[in-house]
Amino acid sequence: MRTIDRRTLLRGLFGGAAVSVALPPLACLLDSHGTAWADGTAFPRRFLQWTWGDGVVPARWVPSTTGAGADWVLSDALAPLVDHKARLAVLSGLEVKAPDKAVPHWSGFMPLLTGEPLQGVDDDFTPVAPTLDQRVATEIAGTTPFRSLELGALDDTPVSYNGTYSPNPPERDPVALYDRLFGPTFRDPADADAPLDPSLALRQSLLDVVGGHVTDLQRSLGADDRARLDQHLTGLRDLELRLARLAEGPADLAACRRPSAPADATGLTDPFARHAALVDVLSLALACDLTRVATMCFLPPVNPYQFPGTPDAHHQLTHSEAGEQPLVHATTVRTMEAFATFLDALAAVPEGDGSVLDHALVLATTDCAHGQVHAYTDWPVLLAGGADGALRTDRHVRSAGGNASAVALTVMHALGLRAPSFGSGDLRVTAPVTDVLG
Amino acid sequence: MRTVSPFVLPLWLGIACATPVEVPTDTFDAAPPVLRRLTQSQVEHAVRDLFGADVYVPADLDAALRVDGLEAIGTARIAVSPRGVERYEAAAFAVARQALDATHRAAIVPCSPAAADDAGCAAQVIRTVGRRVWRRPLTDAEVDGLVAVAVAAGRAYADADEGLVYGVAGLLQSPWFLMRPEPGADDPAVPGARVYDGYALASRLSFFLWDTIPDDALLDAAARGDLSTDDGVDAQVVRMVADPRAHDGLRAWAADLMQLSNLKDVRKDTTVYPTWTDDLAASAGEQVLRSFEDQVFTLDADLGGLLTSRRLAVDPGLARAYGVAAPVREGFGVVRLPDDSERVGLLGQLGFLALHAHAASSSATLRGRFVREALLCETIDPPPPGVNTTIPEPSPDAPTLRDRVAAHLDNPSCAGCHARMDPLGLALEQFDGAGAFRTEEGGATIDVRGTLDDVDFVGASGLADAVRAHPAFVPCLVEQVTRYALGRPLTDADRPALAALVTAFEAHGRRLQPLWMDLAQSPLFRRVGEVE
Repeated sequence: MRTIDRRTLLRGLFGGAAVSVALPPLACLLDSHGTAWADGTAFPRRFLQWTWGDGVVPARWVPSTTGAGADWVLSDALAPLVDHKARLAVLSGLEVKAPDKAVPHWSGFMPLLTGEPLQGVDDDFTPVAPTLDQRVATEIAGTTPFRSLELGALDDTPVSYNGTYSPNPPERDPVALYDRLFGPTFRDPADADAPLDPSLALRQSLLDVVGGHVTDLQRSLGADDRARLDQHLTGLRDLELRLARLAEGPADLAACRRPSAPADATGLTDPFARHAALVDVLSLALACDLTRVATMCFLPPVNPYQFPGTPDAHHQLTHSEAGEQPLVHATTVRTMEAFATFLDALAAVPEGDGSVLDHALVLATTDCAHGQVHAYTDWPVLLAGGADGALRTDRHVRSAGGNASAVALTVMHALGLRAPSFGSGDLRVTAPVTDVLG
Repeated sequence: MRTVSPFVLPLWLGIACATPVEVPTDTFDAAPPVLRRLTQSQVEHAVRDLFGADVYVPADLDAALRVDGLEAIGTARIAVSPRGVERYEAAAFAVARQALDATHRAAIVPCSPAAADDAGCAAQVIRTVGRRVWRRPLTDAEVDGLVAVAVAAGRAYADADEGLVYGVAGLLQSPWFLMRPEPGADDPAVPGARVYDGYALASRLSFFLWDTIPDDALLDAAARGDLSTDDGVDAQVVRMVADPRAHDGLRAWAADLMQLSNLKDVRKDTTVYPTWTDDLAASAGEQVLRSFEDQVFTLDADLGGLLTSRRLAVDPGLARAYGVAAPVREGFGVVRLPDDSERVGLLGQLGFLALHAHAASSSATLRGRFVREALLCETIDPPPPGVNTTIPEPSPDAPTLRDRVAAHLDNPSCAGCHARMDPLGLALEQFDGAGAFRTEEGGATIDVRGTLDDVDFVGASGLADAVRAHPAFVPCLVEQVTRYALGRPLTDADRPALAALVTAFEAHGRRLQPLWMDLAQSPLFRRVGEVE
């Protein structure tokens, strides 16, 4: 049994809603078979973001032809995605119209996801608006207990932000992720009649008291510090809400069950293995509708991971390898192999007549285009998944010189968020990439 | 006009006082207060002080941020993230459960609960523990709010101690613990001026000097109003510097200055540097901290010695890396390297050399940049947009890094900055990317001549001497201590007071302990502007 969404009320309080929602109703029941929502609408749409560091070698990345179906073929770099070609849309030619490159691996990446210029320089920088995943989460998280999940296969570099100096650091330990999602607070649909643990209600009461402390403290502060504590307050309310939803128990979805715990990953340094373990847990979280938004930072900007068979850490390699950069290209191929396994995992979770991947929209991108020179033109962008038919796939759409902010607007439209524009100043766009919208 | 003379030093130091440099306090333009978040180590130290050294605090509570080279400044920019709320909540319960277990309970529960929902005993615990956790007395309303939850939990579980777990966990996840609000009060001695109130000053002192919360003695001094007088502050500072917790304060500053938190992310190409391990990285960080402790506490000597000392704490792993005999079979022991050793001071240690290098190579630029920014307090801009930063591969024509980075200095758009960094780092090229000593690269002898602002020198030892003698070095040390203590970048308005600290620091032989005392008395530390 689901109840009216308290987040809707909170959003009203904070005035945070910037876009209108054209989505499945937020207060909804599942039908008795768990195959669709009770009112007949589709399963919830998910937004999944998958990123890697340091760009690509453009000459090996961009498919040689545009068009749909048989008209386009995968490029060398995209070859590992052959099994997913039918559910893949490649966007090329787009440029992040950032005002500067003061922090080369972030000054384009964050504007792509926020629509606003990065603030700061060098080792003191921050996006000043929520990243796309968080904007989307505000609208589509619905009644799920976890507004969003952030995962990192290598380290804890955050690529998701709530706003200025408010990162969402990723979880990199599959066991910790499992405990968070499927630990004692998880109610297996099979044990729906078990008595409620009183801790869920008591913890909510305590968070409420702590929220009062934040409000008391804010009274003595200046405007900037009050705003910083607003983030704290939002976090407290999110957690309170999560506990309330966990008390309700998970939706009765066919593929939802309490999984067994993953193997201990302490000392696991291979990001491919760590990625696989994290994705296993994530796909079950999606199966149980514990969250609808997740960000996987497979490899971070300024990536320190050294791929086997290469002479240096990835970031260093992108700058030091001369010529056509065959080794950098090979790392991109390996990266796309990992991305293919991510899509495989989503496709393997049955939901209704299809899979989670059919109801998801996946955005895969990186922090610059050509890593060697930190180019912001011809940005690598992949969209994948079904988005319930809202995304037209099996195509390569090239928009030479186009504004890359269209990517975020396209994602929002495909998820049913009818925002009229995305970004400000030179970053602003008013039209999505319509060729990929269903 | 009242003047603060911040340099009246306690006699126990046995120092002839320098001529006090007086900063007129009625014209001092104090900065507004900053709101800092506790660091991971401050939370850990606070829990140790509150409940016992064996109480475990989960790692990675919430992400840190380095701003202007210091995480201490970043703490005033970040808030508690949504993920952080979750982690702090889990940590608060984990700590509270340990605090209420059979081993630790007696230290914080002075009463015997009459029933599972005994509000009186819960209130007593929350009020007493809360004063330490929040570094100030709690209001009745604050106590009542937490007691209500504690009583409900005690009743739900029919266990008074379970109620206390909720009460203590509430104290620990509160912003009154996690953040450092520092309210001001009118300065009774200077009309119109404001100082930090007693409890705020107590917290400033303890986090600065001890990296932890105030003890009862410091809070009692605040309650008595002792901290509104120079003598009262002095008495506390003298006590605090002599306390073992001052080692924590020093280590926290040293770790921040030397960016040691980045060491855990250092990954080396093990085909190039097969001896590099995470354990060695951890030891390298500890070695740096021990060098600071040696200079400040064991020797109580000129901080410049950090650059030129050949006394070195090594464990067996570091001893192997440095090619010296390990003085002890386990843990750290002190060795003295030969006088002609090129491995000298902080810039000869793995914790610096391997951190400021690449995975498979050294980096003259990164090493030079750290010297410029952290030790000389200069600013270096990032490379301009669109620059191809490729450094050529080693080749017979360009066997050494000096040959390969020559383009940095030939190209005018690069040379502006690289001419300030590379000549410093190239002097350290006898240490490879993992910090091992070498004299050749690619079959060629490494040329370690360098220049620092028109001073020519040779090699790592020459660089150490040149930096130590550089006119910006001593003021920069004072600035780094001050920025750390204040949690903010310095402004023009701070300069006169800072100059006074530099003068006193010179007069006291550039030793850190007197600087701590001077800074604690300085208007920079005690005076506060209005909230903006």
